[in-house]
Amino acid sequence: MYIVVSVVILISITMGLVRAYRGPTLYDRVMAANMIGTLTVLMVSVLGFLTGRPEFLDIALVYVLISFVSTIAVLRVSANRYGTARDDATGSAQE
Amino acid sequence: MEHLINIVLLGLLMLAGFAIVRTKSLLAVAMLTSIYSLLSASLFVVLDAVDVALTEAAIGAGISTILMLAAIALTSDEEKAPRHTPLLPLFVVIATGAALIYGTLDMPRFGDPAAPAHRHVAPTYLQDTPTAIGIPNVVTSVLASYRSYDTLGEVTVIFTAGTGVLALLGFRPRRRNTEDTGRKKLVILRVVAKLFFPLILLFALYVLFHGDYGPGGGFQAGVIFATGFILYALAFGLSNSQQLIPHQLLYVMAAAGVLIYGLVGIASMLLGGKFLEYQVLANDPVTGQHVGILLIETGVAITVAAVVLIIYYGFVSRRPAPGDI
Repeated sequence: MYIVVSVVILISITMGLVRAYRGPTLYDRVMAANMIGTLTVLMVSVLGFLTGRPEFLDIALVYVLISFVSTIAVLRVSANRYGTARDDATGSAQE
Repeated sequence: MEHLINIVLLGLLMLAGFAIVRTKSLLAVAMLTSIYSLLSASLFVVLDAVDVALTEAAIGAGISTILMLAAIALTSDEEKAPRHTPLLPLFVVIATGAALIYGTLDMPRFGDPAAPAHRHVAPTYLQDTPTAIGIPNVVTSVLASYRSYDTLGEVTVIFTAGTGVLALLGFRPRRRNTEDTGRKKLVILRVVAKLFFPLILLFALYVLFHGDYGPGGGFQAGVIFATGFILYALAFGLSNSQQLIPHQLLYVMAAAGVLIYGLVGIASMLLGGKFLEYQVLANDPVTGQHVGILLIETGVAITVAAVVLIIYYGFVSRRPAPGDI
């Protein structure tokens, strides 16, 4: 059961990696990275139960709490640089 | 089954490495490196290195990507074409790689219990930890008690790194109200940040105090603390996070963590033990170990959190225009 789930998660991670590499836009890559983050949380939890070590859930929790911070950082940089979120930022966001 | 997962994860790591090399847009590279670290953390989990996985989760997924992005925000996000032909570096890399692979031929088989690394001091640590130190997590007992000199050295290295970044980048205070003026529309981000900020700090405390029993400890806790404050800075701007945790306070904290660590050592000397011999810190040797480990882990966490934030502030405060990261 857990094995089937891990295989499915690994396949999804592979597809996400392909999307992150091929792009074409930054947002595809951001979505792919975010998805791989979520899948890693699942993967770590499933592995914990697969190997009978549920304390792995601590690591999954760390991911849940902080993996989205880097996604926000990417979006802030691209918004500041390309002004795609210029309604949100100050007028001089487009540099 | 675990071998299959290992092989697939290693293959994905290789693919991610090639993708990083071939991608020219540095923002995409930052995303790909965060994917790389997510994958390697999964690999560490499969290999049963839970503490390492937690470190990779805390540093790779959050801090290192954020610092990379902070550096990109100061420069360009396109990779420049190399000015030299890559033939000589390629040759060096291939030669080094071949030498390393040749070196692995003499290594003991993966997971071999008779390997020299598993026969030197590891059996003593595994045998003595439950009775002498009394904590379930052997990694913490090795890191914080048996090898506490090493860890003191590592904390000092982190402190030195923070000092070095401070000397190079410094901190440029901005005039107040030069930012955050037109930012009222970051509603979703701010609500989410407000929700997550206390949870992240709480979890950092859990990782710090639970390091004796489960994966975690001072290093990971410090990084998670810093990530919480960075999330706050991303959502509310640098001047607001400056009010929350001013950079002068960070300088004091970075030094205070190392100082706590050293003072624990001196206290144990004054109480009649050796440097960092925790047994003398309490009437009962096992309790003494607990107290000592908790104190030095707290010191480590304070220094790590402060240094990570010093580096982040150093990068972000150099941005001339409003707008953070």
